[in-house]
Amino acid sequence: MRFTISREALLRPLQVVGGVVEKRQTLPVLSNILVNAEPDRVTLTGTDLEVELTAAVPVIGADTGDITLPARKFMDICKALPEGAEIDITVDGEKARFRSGKSRFTLATLPAAEFPATEAIAGAFEFEIPQGELRHLIEKTQFCMANQDVRYYLNGLLLEFNAGSLRTVATDGHRLALSDRIAEQTGTEQRQVIIPRKGVMELFRLLVDSKELCRVQLNTNHIKVELPNIGFTSKLVDGRFPDYERVVPKGGDKIVTADRESLRQALVRAAILSNEKYRGIRLELSNDQLRAVVNNPEQEEAEEELDVDYQGEELEIGFNVAYLLEAINAIDEEQVEITLSDANSSCLVRGLGNEGSRYVVMPMRL
Amino acid sequence: MSRVILHVDMDAFFASVEVRERPELRGRPVIVGGTPEGRGVVAAASYEARRFGVHSAMPTATALRLCPKAVVLPPRHGFYSQVSRGIHAVFERYTPLVEPLSLDEAFLDVTGSLRLFGSAAAIGRRIKGEILEELDLVASVGVAPNKFLAKLASDMNKPDGFFHFDPNRIAEILDPMPVTRLWGVGPATARQLERLGIRTVGQLRHYSQRLIARHLGRGGEHLWELAHGIDERPVICEQETKSVSNETTFARDIHDPNSLRIWLSELAEQVAWRLRRQELAGRTVTLKVRFRDFTTVTRSLSLPEVTDVTSEIRDTALRLYEERLDHPHLPVRLLGVGVSGFDAPSACQQSLFNETRARSSRVDSIVDQIRSRFGSDAMHRGGSRR
Repeated sequence: MRFTISREALLRPLQVVGGVVEKRQTLPVLSNILVNAEPDRVTLTGTDLEVELTAAVPVIGADTGDITLPARKFMDICKALPEGAEIDITVDGEKARFRSGKSRFTLATLPAAEFPATEAIAGAFEFEIPQGELRHLIEKTQFCMANQDVRYYLNGLLLEFNAGSLRTVATDGHRLALSDRIAEQTGTEQRQVIIPRKGVMELFRLLVDSKELCRVQLNTNHIKVELPNIGFTSKLVDGRFPDYERVVPKGGDKIVTADRESLRQALVRAAILSNEKYRGIRLELSNDQLRAVVNNPEQEEAEEELDVDYQGEELEIGFNVAYLLEAINAIDEEQVEITLSDANSSCLVRGLGNEGSRYVVMPMRL
Repeated sequence: MSRVILHVDMDAFFASVEVRERPELRGRPVIVGGTPEGRGVVAAASYEARRFGVHSAMPTATALRLCPKAVVLPPRHGFYSQVSRGIHAVFERYTPLVEPLSLDEAFLDVTGSLRLFGSAAAIGRRIKGEILEELDLVASVGVAPNKFLAKLASDMNKPDGFFHFDPNRIAEILDPMPVTRLWGVGPATARQLERLGIRTVGQLRHYSQRLIARHLGRGGEHLWELAHGIDERPVICEQETKSVSNETTFARDIHDPNSLRIWLSELAEQVAWRLRRQELAGRTVTLKVRFRDFTTVTRSLSLPEVTDVTSEIRDTALRLYEERLDHPHLPVRLLGVGVSGFDAPSACQQSLFNETRARSSRVDSIVDQIRSRFGSDAMHRGGSRR
C-alpha cells in the first residue's frame, strides 16, 4: 500500500474519525484507525464498537491495500507537520513509513483483518433529510439526555417517525425535551429507535447547518447516516423508551409569557447563590409579576423581580434552576411561554408560537 | 459535670448461652461458629476453649487444630438476640441511656441514677448480680467517668470481672499500657507513633497535643485526649442506622461472572428487604468484593434519589460489577452489597416517570408479604439463586 496526500486533505477526516477512538481500549486494534487505500481514494475508519465513523479522501494513483495505524500517533504526526506538507505513506511488511520533507516516521501496524468488520445495514428503512434539519432536531433536545442512568434507555435520544413527521425526544427522568420536524420522505412509516448518547454527540459534531440532504438508514440494530465523504454508524439502544406523551402536560391554566433574555439573565443571576447540589429556585407568580428567590445552606439569598405577562391565581413553585435555564437557552424566539398548573405538576416551556420544540420540567419540593 | 459510665460486656456470650441451655457442656471447650468445611469462623469460644488459644474470628478449622476436643455449635442469632433483650431489660431498670454496641456489650450512662440507686459501683454490682441471678450468665462490668475508660475497665479482670476506675489513678493505670489499647490505634497508626518513639500511653501523654496533631492530623488530637483519660463522647441510646449491607463469604471462591451476578441479585434483594422493613431508603449503593488474594475493593454509585426498590438496587450493584471492576478478575471470595445515604435531602426533585418505579415497589411489597407469611424460600425472582 502506498499513497501521497497533502497534510490539509488528511487532517480533517483524520480528526473526524479519531474522535470516536477511545484512549483506553480493551482490544489493542480499537486504538487504531483502519486505512483502506483504493486507486482514487483512501478511506479511514475508527470505532469504539458502538459508534463507527468513516471518512473518505480523494487521492491520485494509490497502490491499494488495507492496514490499521495507531490513531493518536497518526493524528499527532499529521498535526505537527508544517502547513502544506505532502505526506507519503507506505506500508511495507508490518511497518508503516511516513515521509514528508525531511521528516521520517516508522509506525507499528496491526493487520486490517483484526479490525472489527462493518456490519452492512441489511433490510434497512431509509429516507433523506436536509442536514440542517437533523442537526436542529438533535440540538434542541440532546441536552436533556440522561448520563449513565441505571435506566439505560434514557442514556440516548429517541428518534420517532410518525405519519410524515420526525421527532426527537430526550429525558433524564426529571425534565424532557421534544422536537418535531416535517419529514415527508418517511411516508407512513411508524417506528421508534434510541440512539445512544455517544452516537448522538458524535453525529451532532458532524452535521452542519445546510440544506444538503443526508441519507439515513435504519434497521433494528443500527442507524447509519451518510454525509458527504463521511459515514456515521451507531448501534441502537435495545430498550423501550418510556411513554413520554403522558408526561407532556396538557391543560395547564396558568400561562406566563416573559421576555426570554430578561428571564434568562434574572435566572442566571439568582442561580449564583443556589445550593450547588440541588440548584433549587423558588418562583412566585402574581399579577404580571414573577419573583425568583434562591436560598442556600449558608443562609445567603438572591431575589429577582421580573415584569411578565400573567393573569391568574398566585402560585409558588420550586425548580432546579439549571433545568429551566437549559430549556430557555434552547429557545430561539424572543418571548417564552411557560404553562403551569400547580406546585406539584410539571411545567411546559416553549418559544411563544413555536409548536415545534417543547420542554417539560418537573418541579422540586423546596 | 463529671459523668458515671458503665460498660457491661458479657463473657463469651454465645458460648455461655449455649452452655446454659445444655448443662452437659459445662466445663468443656465450646466453639460457636461456622463449620470448618464451609470455611466458617469462630463467633465465640468458651474460656475452656480460649485456654488452647482459640479466639473469635479465627477460622474454625484452625481452632479445631488447636483444640481438637472442642464442641462446635452453629450460631443461633435469633436466640441470642432474645437473650440479649433480657439483659437490656436489666439495664433499663437503672437508666434509659443505654447504647448497645452489639448483642453482648453496652454502655450505660448512670449519672442521673446515682441519687436513686446509690454509688456507681453499687449500680454496677447490682446489674452484674441481676444478670447472673435472672439469666444465669456472667457479665464483666467496668465503671469509669467516660466510655473509653469504662471499656478498658470491663476488660481489666475478665472473665467475671468488676473494675471501678478511680479518677485519681487514671494516669498510673494508663501509662504502662501499649498505645494499641487506645481506640483508633491500628497497625498503621502504631507504626507512625513508633517513628516518634511512642510505644506506651504514658509516652504519648508526655507529648504536646499540638505535636501529635501535626503528625497524625485531627485523629491525633483525639488520641492525645484518650491518653489523658479524656473522652467526651456521649452515650447515644438509639444508634442511627447509617447503612444497611449484606455480604457473604463463599464456601469456595467463585470465578464465573454469571454465578456472581446471581449472588449479587440475591444480596441486593436481602438488603432491599431489610431497608423496607426498617422503613429506610438510601441514595448510595456500594459493591464490596474480596478476591482470592484477600485484596478488597469497594465501588459506590449515588443515585439521583433515595431508593428501597429491589430492582434498582440490584441493577446498580450489577452495573458497578460490570463497569467499575477490571475484567477478567481473580476468583471472588467475598461479595457484599450495601445501601447508605439515608439523610433526607433538603430539596427533592420530582420525577416524570413514576409508573415503572411504582410497579417495582408494588412487586416488592407483594414479595415481602408472601415471604413474611410463607418464609423467604416461598418465592424467588426469575434468574436468582434457588
